[in-house]
Amino acid sequence: MTSGPEIVRSKGAIVPSVIYILWKRELLRFVRDRSQIFGAFSRTVLWLLILGFGLGAALREIEGYSYAQYVLPGVVVLNVLYASLQSSIALVWDRHLGLLREVLVSPAPTLSVTLGKLFGGASIAVIQGTIPLLFMPLIGMDIEILAIFFAWGIMFFMGVLITSIGVIIASRMRTFEGFGAISNGVIQPLYFLSGSIFPLKGAVGGVGFTQISDHTRQHLVSEGIRTLGAVWFVTLPWWLQALIFANPVSYILDLLRYVLLDFQQLPLMADFLVTFLLPLVSVVLAAYAMRRMLRPR
Amino acid sequence: MKRPGVSSGANSPASRNSSPAIEVTNIGRRYGTLAAVEDVSFSVKEGEFFALLGPNGAGKTTLVHMLTTIVPPTSGTARVMGLDVTGQSAEVRWKLGMVFQEPAVDDRLTAAENLEIHAVLYGIPRRQRPESISHAVEWAALAEVGKRRVATFSGGMKRRLELARALMHGPVVLFLDEPTLGLDPQGRRNLWERIATLRDEGMTVFMTTHNLPEAAECDRVGILDRGKLVEIGSPAELIAKHGGKEDADLEDVFINLTGHQLRDEVATARDRLVSFAKKGGEHTR
Repeated sequence: MTSGPEIVRSKGAIVPSVIYILWKRELLRFVRDRSQIFGAFSRTVLWLLILGFGLGAALREIEGYSYAQYVLPGVVVLNVLYASLQSSIALVWDRHLGLLREVLVSPAPTLSVTLGKLFGGASIAVIQGTIPLLFMPLIGMDIEILAIFFAWGIMFFMGVLITSIGVIIASRMRTFEGFGAISNGVIQPLYFLSGSIFPLKGAVGGVGFTQISDHTRQHLVSEGIRTLGAVWFVTLPWWLQALIFANPVSYILDLLRYVLLDFQQLPLMADFLVTFLLPLVSVVLAAYAMRRMLRPR
Repeated sequence: MKRPGVSSGANSPASRNSSPAIEVTNIGRRYGTLAAVEDVSFSVKEGEFFALLGPNGAGKTTLVHMLTTIVPPTSGTARVMGLDVTGQSAEVRWKLGMVFQEPAVDDRLTAAENLEIHAVLYGIPRRQRPESISHAVEWAALAEVGKRRVATFSGGMKRRLELARALMHGPVVLFLDEPTLGLDPQGRRNLWERIATLRDEGMTVFMTTHNLPEAAECDRVGILDRGKLVEIGSPAELIAKHGGKEDADLEDVFINLTGHQLRDEVATARDRLVSFAKKGGEHTR
């Protein structure tokens, strides 16, 4: 055994094969865990169909969209949040009892290990985030290929961001006895405070705006009319608005809603910055957190 | 196949080369004000079978972590095959094979998939990987179950898988953390035979254990207590020096040196995870 195999000693911090194999590991773990796939489906059915049609019956419409249509991008975001955080919080487990200890004593550079983890988490997020899109025809939305591609891009970047945040949280968690705290303490605030289930401000109610012909509706929208009949104009209290503005997920959701529904409420520039630049920053922070966790001083 | 520790040092491969495989000089590690390891010095010769003993909380894990470059020492130095564990940690890692107490394998992956990850982490080139993986699977006698998920493996099978994996990159020093814990007598015997074969090929083996009859079969034993190395030597030497009675064994030496006091510790974060896992765990596994 002393005459070992020929070994390639990469000097750089980025080793593509290491990133790839750890990405593959994440995906294999995901497809072999039926509970995660089941969770993604049940969340979608619950929020999109049960809540969408249930609340939709009372609210009728939001800014000319049925409630199920309005909430769809939010359900995508919810699935991305769950997928990313489940993938990253598993690190707590992994470093005490799992394969990560093997990675720990290996010469593989931490940055590549981190990137494999982040890309894996983000890919699972894209898969889970796509599940609500499958329901689009059911709630009266057309599937446009270009919009789906944009949506996938947004989901991937959001997946990287949220997985990074999860890695930073996981690196500071000493023990793990259930996902409940993460679910209630991180996912739900980010979800509820993103304008996912209620608009920042807007016309709620209306009579049958979604039921009139496409042509007429588009004409009305171009005139700035997004609802017909009796409506409430809702504006959130200032503190709730402040929380929504402070939540990065709000901007990502806003961009996603723009892509899927052609409706958005926040500055588009801010949407782009948060969606595509923040993940780059978070990757660096996650890499530092990983390094601190794996290579203590 | 002969068992390790039976052959005397004189005809073992160790005598071919006298430079130490592991050389520890005044090493210490503090966590805040707590000294986990304090001023420990010793060396392990090439080809030697060395056992590190000590009560719970004696600092064994910290010492092994320093030697395997996971934790840097706060004082002193350690060299593995002449390479400094802090300054040349990447080089040291390629020389080491590591077998963990709780198997560090991914339960949802197959044996071959676990081995593939190892091959990539250690930079085994793509074209050599299939051969290297199938060789390891066969060495571990897991060829028939190579495509099954590791979750379905027994403790002994996981240990064999880990050992085969630890050897894939051709290490020269093998670290074993409580290697026989939880194995049945057959599994233990099989593991010893494998270790013996490796030693015949010149492998240096460093083991931590609580199993004193097993430690008695090693070339040399070091006893660590409260972060300090209290004694080191061959089992026979230690028994002669500290046994204190006729037909004394290593257990008598151990108790004489470290006392009768029970070393109860507060459960660590890891212990709590292990018990959570045994209750069924959640989501993450």
